[in-house]
Amino acid sequence: MRRWLFGALTAFGAVVVILPVTGQAQAFYRPDTPKFPQARTWVAQRAKLPAYKAPRTPDGVPDLQGNWNGPVGGGNDDLEEHEYIDVTTPPQESYVSDPPDGKVPYTPWALAKRNEIRAGLARGWPGETGQRLYTDPSSLCVNGMPRLALGGQEIIQKPGLVILLTANTYRVIPTDGRAHMSSTAKFYFGNSRGRWEGETLVVDVTGVNGETWIDSAGNFYGPNTHMVERMTRVEANTIDYVITIDDPTIYTRPWTMTYPKRRTGTGPGGNAGAITNAVAAAAGAARAADPYAKEVWENTCLEGNHDNVVLLKKLGFKWFEAVTPPR
Amino acid sequence: MKRWSAGLSAALVFALFALAPAPGAAQTPATTYTPPRTREGQPDLQGIWQVLNTAAWDIQDHAASLGVPAGRGVVEGNEIPYRPEALAKKQENFKNRQALDPEHGCILPGVPRLTYMPYPFRIVQQADKVTILHEYSRIIRFIYMNGNPHPEGPIDWFMGDSRGRWEGNSLVVDVIHFNDATWFDRAGNFHSDALHLVERFTPTGPDHLMYEVTIEDPKVFTRPWKISMPLYRRQEKDIELLEYECGVYLLKQEWQKPDSPLFNQP
Repeated sequence: MRRWLFGALTAFGAVVVILPVTGQAQAFYRPDTPKFPQARTWVAQRAKLPAYKAPRTPDGVPDLQGNWNGPVGGGNDDLEEHEYIDVTTPPQESYVSDPPDGKVPYTPWALAKRNEIRAGLARGWPGETGQRLYTDPSSLCVNGMPRLALGGQEIIQKPGLVILLTANTYRVIPTDGRAHMSSTAKFYFGNSRGRWEGETLVVDVTGVNGETWIDSAGNFYGPNTHMVERMTRVEANTIDYVITIDDPTIYTRPWTMTYPKRRTGTGPGGNAGAITNAVAAAAGAARAADPYAKEVWENTCLEGNHDNVVLLKKLGFKWFEAVTPPR
Repeated sequence: MKRWSAGLSAALVFALFALAPAPGAAQTPATTYTPPRTREGQPDLQGIWQVLNTAAWDIQDHAASLGVPAGRGVVEGNEIPYRPEALAKKQENFKNRQALDPEHGCILPGVPRLTYMPYPFRIVQQADKVTILHEYSRIIRFIYMNGNPHPEGPIDWFMGDSRGRWEGNSLVVDVIHFNDATWFDRAGNFHSDALHLVERFTPTGPDHLMYEVTIEDPKVFTRPWKISMPLYRRQEKDIELLEYECGVYLLKQEWQKPDSPLFNQP
């Protein structure tokens, strides 16, 4: 199972490391791994870039097509700034570019909820209670917004459409000006409507169901959350990805995550800095000679995940339901 | 399942056979329609399509029952040439379909079954691949047209390995490397890991594709056989693929049941 490469599931009762579904190979990190640059570093770099005008598709809109990596480090662990936690959780800056402190601006009850979730992750992290509460929904093959954007993906453009493909799921974003569906219809991936503003694809997402997390550490949104993504090609091989998340029932103010998506094969990828770099380089050389290297082969989740699902159930994790404010 | 032969006279059987083209002789339907071309010069089959038939329940002629609409089969000649032991297994599958149908586990439904389930799908063409995005479980099917042959086997995939080519206006897809974990329908029609498909998607008008599949599996069938059906372009102005996250709904439901068989199977 590609999505469960690291099956470090030990006997019941022992520390169980449940890894998020990333769609990329899991990397392992040493305690002395340098802190991964995220929003803070990228925003500073971005400010120095010369103006760039992307080539146009035949329809005259900026061409974002190709294969793009997710953020350095894989983008799945705690999205706020943190030091080294364990072999799968290297130190990194926050993905949050606004507010400037890099923290998700939760209201007090929502912060307490996030911390309660985190204390019950049973990942062997500091501060956990030892009780099991929820496991990362993506461990149960539950995927949704906005996490898809945090992995590698292929972007395909067609007249009036932008298509985002990962190895095992997709989004189709109409850019033809159509209206949103009623937001009473909730979806894991919400209802996306795109438009072009100069160099930027702006995607307005409503109708999310709030049943997935933003990372694997319990940072959450809800069924009333509104997301706006901005994708801009700021260099030939870099897309600036910006997502603003707003929900007055959960957060004190809208907040924003920012990171660069690099064209696959042109720079730091999801696993840069990992212990496995040498292995990855060797594998990369082998792939360069492999005519099938650019193909995506059958990539399942539920089909190969049964043992893990059974284990998570037996360990007593509860099903994560959408969180709404206390009355 | 109402085996069709039980309900039809010999004369009618003869008439049906006389009318049906010989199975296995896949012919592009006679059509004078010339589809528009993509920028790469391929016939343009893109858009959102869906079947309008009852093959998801039973690919053969069948009467109605509770929750099952009656329907004409999609099998040429209606007969599926099972080997004797395979026919017995098919009948067992039908009898125990509530427990055995892989669809109930929300796994990848396989090919061609996924094509005629009652959910829309979008065909996306690029120079080197045709991608089919299915609303059902957000399944992506990649049909590679990059000149690579099937990778070396044995490989056991739910959806097989699809290699496509253009023949006139038809997209022709050769599919091998299956596992034996999927069925053709809810009536227990099945195959082995030796399944080999040749699918043809042929535009017959601006809003119709003829979908034909020649099915070969020497472990289960005595000869190749064929299914065919039209695919219809969805006409709604704002049609889009929505979401049917089968596995998630199933897990969420079963998670609350202490005795769910989902978590208590060996």
